[in-house]
Amino acid sequence: MRNSARTIRRKGDGGIAATLMMSPAVLMLIITSIYPFFWLFRYVLYDYNGFVAYFTGLDNIKRMLTDRIFWASVGHTFEYAVLKLIITLPLSLLIAVVISHNIPGSSVFRGIFFLPTVISASVYSLIFTFIYAVFRGPLNTMLQTIGLISSPIDWLGDPNWVMISIVIVAVWGGLGNYMVYFLSGLSSISSEVYESAMIDGANARQTFFRITLPMLSPMLKVILLLAITTSFKDYQSILVLTNGGPNNRSHVMFSYIYNLIFSSTTTPQIGYATVLSIVAALIIGAVTALYMVLARKLDDVV
Amino acid sequence: MKKILSVMMIMLVLAGSVFAGGASDKSSSAQSNGKTVVNIWTNDRHDAEYFNEKIAEFNASNPDIEIKITTIVEDYPNMLVMGYTSGNAPDLFYMNARGTGFDIKTFVDGGMLVPYPDEVLDDPEFAKVTDARNHVIEGINAVDGVPYGVYNVLRSGTRMIYNMDLLKQAGITELPKTLQELVDAAAAVTAVGNGNFYGIATCSSAQFERWLEGICNKSGIYHYDYKNGRFDFSGYAEPIKLAQKFFTDGSMFPGSNTQGVDAMRAQFANGTFAIWGNASQEAGVFTDQFPITSFEWAVSELPSMDGNTYGAVEARPQKGLFMFSSCKNQDAAWEVVKYLNSEDFVKGYIEHGYALPLTEYMASVVDMSKIGRLADFYLVPYEAMYPAAPAVTVAGDPYAVALWNVVVSGGDVDKVIADLNKSYNEALDRDVQIGKVKRLVIADFDPLNPTAGTIEYLDK
Repeated sequence: MRNSARTIRRKGDGGIAATLMMSPAVLMLIITSIYPFFWLFRYVLYDYNGFVAYFTGLDNIKRMLTDRIFWASVGHTFEYAVLKLIITLPLSLLIAVVISHNIPGSSVFRGIFFLPTVISASVYSLIFTFIYAVFRGPLNTMLQTIGLISSPIDWLGDPNWVMISIVIVAVWGGLGNYMVYFLSGLSSISSEVYESAMIDGANARQTFFRITLPMLSPMLKVILLLAITTSFKDYQSILVLTNGGPNNRSHVMFSYIYNLIFSSTTTPQIGYATVLSIVAALIIGAVTALYMVLARKLDDVV
Repeated sequence: MKKILSVMMIMLVLAGSVFAGGASDKSSSAQSNGKTVVNIWTNDRHDAEYFNEKIAEFNASNPDIEIKITTIVEDYPNMLVMGYTSGNAPDLFYMNARGTGFDIKTFVDGGMLVPYPDEVLDDPEFAKVTDARNHVIEGINAVDGVPYGVYNVLRSGTRMIYNMDLLKQAGITELPKTLQELVDAAAAVTAVGNGNFYGIATCSSAQFERWLEGICNKSGIYHYDYKNGRFDFSGYAEPIKLAQKFFTDGSMFPGSNTQGVDAMRAQFANGTFAIWGNASQEAGVFTDQFPITSFEWAVSELPSMDGNTYGAVEARPQKGLFMFSSCKNQDAAWEVVKYLNSEDFVKGYIEHGYALPLTEYMASVVDMSKIGRLADFYLVPYEAMYPAAPAVTVAGDPYAVALWNVVVSGGDVDKVIADLNKSYNEALDRDVQIGKVKRLVIADFDPLNPTAGTIEYLDK
């Protein structure tokens, strides 16, 4: 923050005003985000239920190391994030490229694809629980009518299918969002480049891989970073769709942590949830750092 | 630039008001038009209409006190704690017996509650309506025998609800008395249904507690061994193995394990499955919310392992009023407590069909003809509350979740039970050692009369 303020001041463009304008946001960030994060550390060694903290030494950490449900949920988080990313990103890029060509009705399609982004995740997840219903549910009925499946699939109750069902909802909900990011990236590429490529006789595929993708790469890196961090933190729709079931098969890190504090049938386990939150933050931090290193390496190559 | 600046200014002002709001929004007893305000929180929605009507009546006639009631549905116990710690707690709050996430010992240890004074407990009308001194349940509404909350009505224990038309189609004339018969009945209906209707169903919440736990309790199986002060899940092995058949036989309504409770109630009312288990609130559900008109439905007592009764089935007292120690006008609040437990108020509540009478006196004064199908859920002699087992911090799934998961997945029951015995008792030993809970022992515990024994709390 201080750096950017200084840069602005060097340019002589109202440094004090800029600092002042940023201060409410920074203040809010400190109060609502940074302070609570450090506040958490106090309870790492305690069993804390909201009123009384009982000192338990390293019990929380020992429990974390042997907690099978938690480590399985870490695996599910990666499974979910990878599945979501490898479907959402190429698909939304493809749609963005097609829509940016101003095909007839592209603004209508843009609106339709973007629509899920403005609906609350818990609302559309609730609707999906009806779509996924096994007994005369719309999706199963449709697939049976066209003969793709012979008997209904238990989309949310079958351990083999549940993650796929959740990823379908996530892709549906996230597609429009990334499409808009890509569209704004595409609009920044000058049309002259395309024109000269056309004159040189480049076909659509060559144009995409030789011009669009390289010129989009700075934007692409930011979008990827955002996509990776959000998909590792997603849990709202999972809470509504399965609440981590069946048999914890669809628990991701944060749905598990949430359940330890909020929907616990015993008293809240704030101390233990704190330890897990810190571990989860470290895991996501490591993934992000790894991505940054890879992205820089890729830059050197391209 | 100017525009951005003005937007920023507006945001700053708004941000300021957010914090100011937190500090100035006092919900403790305050004066408004000269009356003392008594704030009450509740997490019940279904009876809001009756409450609003009766409270408006009280506010109109009482010159000194005004009642304000707020409904909080989500995350209720946490909201109570946050309200108390931030100084915004109500004066009184409602909590039903064994409300999810509410541990009375934690509240009392934190100095948050005021015990009921003798003047209130011995008030003639209050004593007559609530019979409070005889409804003191350790760890539920009382700690060390001191009552902090008093209930006035009751929700029955679980019953099985049957679609008689479907049972008839499957050739079943007698309602199941044992779990084995229930398994067989569900399979028989499913076989006749041929994909159009099924035997039995569950839903996505409280699956084990909904009816299977009641069947176990009635068979004398409970997860806490009161005599020895240990957790003991061994007894569950046999019923759980039997219940796995609902899934392996295919008689469980497909996908019901992930559908909401209302979705499954609607399916039952539609006649797509034959057996549903739940407590007395279903009387209202199947007469008002999803009225059943196309078939005959019957309510029966839970089955047990061999058809006999060896233990109490939990019937939960409702509408317990508790007072926060932060309450400033306790005298006014106790007046409100008396009003909300007056004969007129409770009689009207029961006659609206919201719950069953808790005391013999109230049972004798209500007009039972007004309660409709609720009469089918009328109490059986073996219904009671169990003293609360110590609320320990367990690693892994809570027992109800773990047991239901193995019912659904068809996994190794004995291993799950061995794991539960280990994790719960380790947690109990540790929590007793760090002083978080005390070991509850009732040496003369009688499973048919769980609250009758002598309660002992041990430090080790």
